[in-house]
Amino acid sequence: MKLITTSDLLSLQVRVIASLVLREARATFGTSPFGYVWAIITPTVSVALLVFIFSLVGRQPPFGSSLALFFATGILTLQFYAELSNKLMTVFDANRALLTYPVIKDVDTLIARVLLIAATYAMIMFIFYAALILLGLAPLPARPEHLVAAFLATWFLGLGFGSLNAVIFSLWDTWGQIEKILTRPLFFVSGIFYVPSQLPPQAREVLQWNPVLHLVEWFRHGFYPNYNSTILDIWYPVSIGAALFLLGLAGERFFRKARF
Amino acid sequence: MLAFKNVSKSYRLKGVKKTILSDFTFEFPTDRNIGIMGKNGVGKSTMMRLIAGTEPPDFGHIFRAPRISWPLGFSGGFNGSMTGIENIRFVSRIYGQDTKQVIEYVTAFAELGRSIRLPIKTYSSGMKARLAFGLSMAIDFDVYLIDEITAVGDEDFKKKSQAIFQDKLADSQIIMVSHSPTTIKQYCDCGLLFEGQTIRFFDDVSDLLSAYADLNRR
Repeated sequence: MKLITTSDLLSLQVRVIASLVLREARATFGTSPFGYVWAIITPTVSVALLVFIFSLVGRQPPFGSSLALFFATGILTLQFYAELSNKLMTVFDANRALLTYPVIKDVDTLIARVLLIAATYAMIMFIFYAALILLGLAPLPARPEHLVAAFLATWFLGLGFGSLNAVIFSLWDTWGQIEKILTRPLFFVSGIFYVPSQLPPQAREVLQWNPVLHLVEWFRHGFYPNYNSTILDIWYPVSIGAALFLLGLAGERFFRKARF
Repeated sequence: MLAFKNVSKSYRLKGVKKTILSDFTFEFPTDRNIGIMGKNGVGKSTMMRLIAGTEPPDFGHIFRAPRISWPLGFSGGFNGSMTGIENIRFVSRIYGQDTKQVIEYVTAFAELGRSIRLPIKTYSSGMKARLAFGLSMAIDFDVYLIDEITAVGDEDFKKKSQAIFQDKLADSQIIMVSHSPTTIKQYCDCGLLFEGQTIRFFDDVSDLLSAYADLNRR
């Protein structure tokens, strides 16, 4: 029985995903004249707002000498994670029409979206941090390799949560509302405007279960030479991400028929 | 090869189970044009989606080696906010075709003039269908799927479409769903008949048509 060879299938996969990424980029950023500019304005405004409030009440940065850098490490990380987890939620429904083309499968659209968001945020973070450094608001990162690792780990955790969200949402669309409520406290429990290591042990006990907090800590560990987090466990967010991603993929396969 | 092995497919809508295929095994002939006939609602379009691979079977396997088209003239896969050109570019990319060549071909064929650079949502349904038809002709498929052939455009355009389609048929195969005996007779030389519970293969198209006529008389 002659079937398609594995290398043909792989090149088809790459081709489909690359075309989907381009299409998605066009759909996300091509409709407004500012496109990519908006993507970078949103986090800038959030950081600026926090910096403004903190300087208004005359507070010192919780760590280091730059308010902007401290908040940015928190906000950009959380936003990157939340973007993945949100945007992936609707990926199966949004791309239903594309399945008209027999060569496109559900998982291709998921992978394409994940790649585009990662590329977007890599750019946003690079521009943002480079701007802070050039403006003298931040020093050069102490451990750049950890910044890259933290970025990838955040991406992986978002991918895990996002793909699981996508599967649950495709079966039960109330999940969209529930997820929103469940993730709202993340802003407060992810160490965005405080140093988790300085909290009382009872608070740390609880907060350390939040994987996003570890990612924020990881970014700070990459930037500050002496952040010395007592909470950070780099394997924790990575394993949660892996577990959720596997669960998401298994769910996609297991409930594939229910989506039709 | 295109083959169904022990394929079952059913739908459950509001507790009512509707079986389309149960334990269906069939190998499609590779060098012939196949018509699919049957009454409304027996699952002909579902069969098309199973063949195309846009929908998975409940049980069993579908082996699919040739490059199979999306249903001819179907424009549901277009993105409304993208222009005609952008949609063409996307489809030719996923099928690994020379993008420039496909754009030229479809532009010349679909006769959309400057609208080809406008978002698809501004198109009339006829314009969309012309674009979709031109696009499926521009890509080299081994098998064309046709769910009720629909002629679009004016007389000249119809003639042009038919000429190009006949040309394609020289090296491609078609699998066609239709209620019209004339159309089936024109394009197909064998076929499947959905008779409610069973699906029968007819080696000769005239046998298929007479069985279809019997089915309707019953």
